[in-house]
Amino acid sequence: MVLTSMTVALLDRPPKDQVVGVDSLTMSEHTAPGSTLSEEIDVASETDAARRTRFEREALQYVDQLYSAAMRMTRNPQDAEDLVQEAYTKAYSAFHQYKPGTNLKAWLYRILTNTYINIYRKKQRQPQQANTDTVEDWQMAQAAEHTSSGLRSAEAEALDHLPDNDVKEALQQIPEEFRLAVYFSDVEGFAYKEIAEILNIPIGTVMSRLHRGRKLLRNLLSDYASERGFKRREEG
Amino acid sequence: MGTENCRDCESTAEAVERLERIYEYLDGALSRDDINDVQNHLSDCPECASDYDLECLIRSVVKRSCTEQAPETLKLTIIQRISQIKIEARH
Repeated sequence: MVLTSMTVALLDRPPKDQVVGVDSLTMSEHTAPGSTLSEEIDVASETDAARRTRFEREALQYVDQLYSAAMRMTRNPQDAEDLVQEAYTKAYSAFHQYKPGTNLKAWLYRILTNTYINIYRKKQRQPQQANTDTVEDWQMAQAAEHTSSGLRSAEAEALDHLPDNDVKEALQQIPEEFRLAVYFSDVEGFAYKEIAEILNIPIGTVMSRLHRGRKLLRNLLSDYASERGFKRREEG
Repeated sequence: MGTENCRDCESTAEAVERLERIYEYLDGALSRDDINDVQNHLSDCPECASDYDLECLIRSVVKRSCTEQAPETLKLTIIQRISQIKIEARH
């Protein structure tokens, strides 16, 4: 298995483990300093067998999480499986570049995202991505209108009972760059800095994507809740 | 009803900005001073408090809905694939 030069270049800069100003609410899953990951490992002299054991022990625990993310990217189980396999293969091939003690989960997410962008999405050529800007404009206009008066208690309750599939569909309707940022933040609890490293974009861009994505999601979920036959948000 | 709304949040632009502060507050991205500001505001403004509750709900619903379990065979396939990889270049 040969890594593309692009992937290698990205892997050369693994995410750092330090996260500033984290709130326990969103960062509870993060690797604490002094955990098993930070034990001394001489990566250069490690045997193949030892390396594989270490990889299986430390990296494979995230299979379900990477698979969930892959489902949000590819939208179908077979493609998601293939993507996760490919990402793990690349991660293993580059594991000597991973610095023990740094955030392994973020590092794996970064590889997953790169694999998706470099290989998968090109092949798939998703048509709706071409219109991102236009979609974004009208969706944003709508979002601004509804922001402060959008969902209220009756709909909040409806939202709480929305079937999982509705929520996934709503998420799927958000342009991809917003969707991934929201997913990484809300589901994985990654900090802005980590999302910036995973997606390889500046922190300011992470914030604007999150803000936009969240407003879009809020309105879409409101629509789904209304469609489910609950109290309408506004009168026609 | 409407009289309880905070004057700061009457305009749409203000409301959008407040909502973004709520996002950042929940993201754990604010300084201690900003956190105090947001908390004070939330206790004064029913509109924003309701937006805050809703945002918490949205996040929990998204998290709940997007947690999937990989097929059992996936882990095994990965283990099998990496066992066939021979790492040649060492630095």
